[in-house]
Amino acid sequence: MDLKFPADLKYAPTHEWVRMGGDIATVGISDYAQHKLGDIVYVELPEIGAVLEKGSVAGEIESVKAVSELFMPLTGEIVETNGNIADNPAFLNSSPYGEGWIMKIKVSNPDEIKNLLSVEKYQELIEKEED
Amino acid sequence: MEFITKEDLNGTKTPLYETHVKLGARMVNFAGWLMPVQYESILKEHETVRTLAGVFDISHMGEFIFEGPDVIPFLQYLMVNDLKLLEKSKGQYSCMCYENGTVIDDLVYYEESPERFRMIVNASNIEKDFQWINEQIENFQVKVKDVSKERCRLAFQGPKSDELIAPLVDTDLSTLNRFYFVFCNLCDVPAFIARTGYTGERGFEISFKNKYAVTIWNALLKTGAGAAGLGARDSLRLEACYCLYGHELNNTITPIEAGLNWLVKPKEGIDFIGKEVLIRQKKEGTSRVLVGLNLLDRGIIRENYKLFKNGVEIGYLTSGGFSPTLKKTIGLALVETKYSSIGTEFDVEIRNKLLKAKVVPTPFYRNI
Repeated sequence: MDLKFPADLKYAPTHEWVRMGGDIATVGISDYAQHKLGDIVYVELPEIGAVLEKGSVAGEIESVKAVSELFMPLTGEIVETNGNIADNPAFLNSSPYGEGWIMKIKVSNPDEIKNLLSVEKYQELIEKEED
Repeated sequence: MEFITKEDLNGTKTPLYETHVKLGARMVNFAGWLMPVQYESILKEHETVRTLAGVFDISHMGEFIFEGPDVIPFLQYLMVNDLKLLEKSKGQYSCMCYENGTVIDDLVYYEESPERFRMIVNASNIEKDFQWINEQIENFQVKVKDVSKERCRLAFQGPKSDELIAPLVDTDLSTLNRFYFVFCNLCDVPAFIARTGYTGERGFEISFKNKYAVTIWNALLKTGAGAAGLGARDSLRLEACYCLYGHELNNTITPIEAGLNWLVKPKEGIDFIGKEVLIRQKKEGTSRVLVGLNLLDRGIIRENYKLFKNGVEIGYLTSGGFSPTLKKTIGLALVETKYSSIGTEFDVEIRNKLLKAKVVPTPFYRNI
């Protein structure tokens, strides 16, 4: 597996990535996650304006074979979702950190950020899962 | 997100197991067999079969040889289809049913001679079928042998399958009509080749001794065809609306309910197991029937999702998913017959929501 994990991102143990910009967190799923899911054919996005707790279900990702839940990596309000992935869910496979971003969250509890995983910790976690 | 990271990899290996692993396949346990669900991408493999040709390892399926003077009367007794329509060098699709008309298995048998037949059955039903067949055999002069584990089976399917396989065989397969078969040399080794398939494309199903597996697999891939896994096999058969045992057919569903009315033949003067129920259902209809659906709202529907009309449950999905060829969500469902006409709309319950679906003509796609 030749998977990429940008070092400037933070990761949740549930395989979402987070890119912080001020108090806005952009969220997607990791290269590992898209690889495990296989071809993604539909993404159910959260409602804009919804305020959701960290760890709660924000949406659903349907691959050809199975449905998986997308979890909130941080508590906050959904302020934007990526409308392009409704028509091109394959962006999650081809560009998980770019065109395949899923949602932006206005973070309500910045303290949670430091509990996210660094790229090193995240890669360790994946290695454990694969063992 | 959570995924299964540990497959139960204590399964039976086909002669091509190592070959699949080397190709980077994701292996899963299917009916006790370790099988490739995909190599790189189910969508790509699906498209390759629809536009060029794909090679599938289907060695997990069962293969029985029937021999003896009573093979034809015996199979007439076990099967709902009529072997009078069969001739030497031809195969036939059929269901084997219980007395109550529900399905033990759906399968294909091939007449090699009036006293020798080859049968291909579903992987999940090999032991059950073999036992059932032997329980019925008492008054017939027939011997049945399970050769599943001695032989490798491949499917070679796609619009270019004829021209790609031609240089590898010592016979002209272009004149082989649907459901007919030949014994010939494939890559200079003896093989059984039938023009049958499960994808909705032209193609072949092939059987030969295990020791030739890697040679033939590699030769078929070298033609330019792509390796295709069980994931694509399922999405292709769903588009083509072929029943999958355990989904559209099982021991609670009859062939008539599954829309296989054409399969159940009157067979006048011939007794067969399930005849009374099935002939009656064929004449009078059934209270539920299989339909094809398009999902009108966005989303993906999958097997066992429930269907509702005005809040009342009217059936369930037997299969469902994204159609890579049609780029929409399709499904097969068992519904109350009064809601089965083309154009009928109802709701599919997908977790806590209801999405609109509509009954559409089937198959969704075939190119044969």
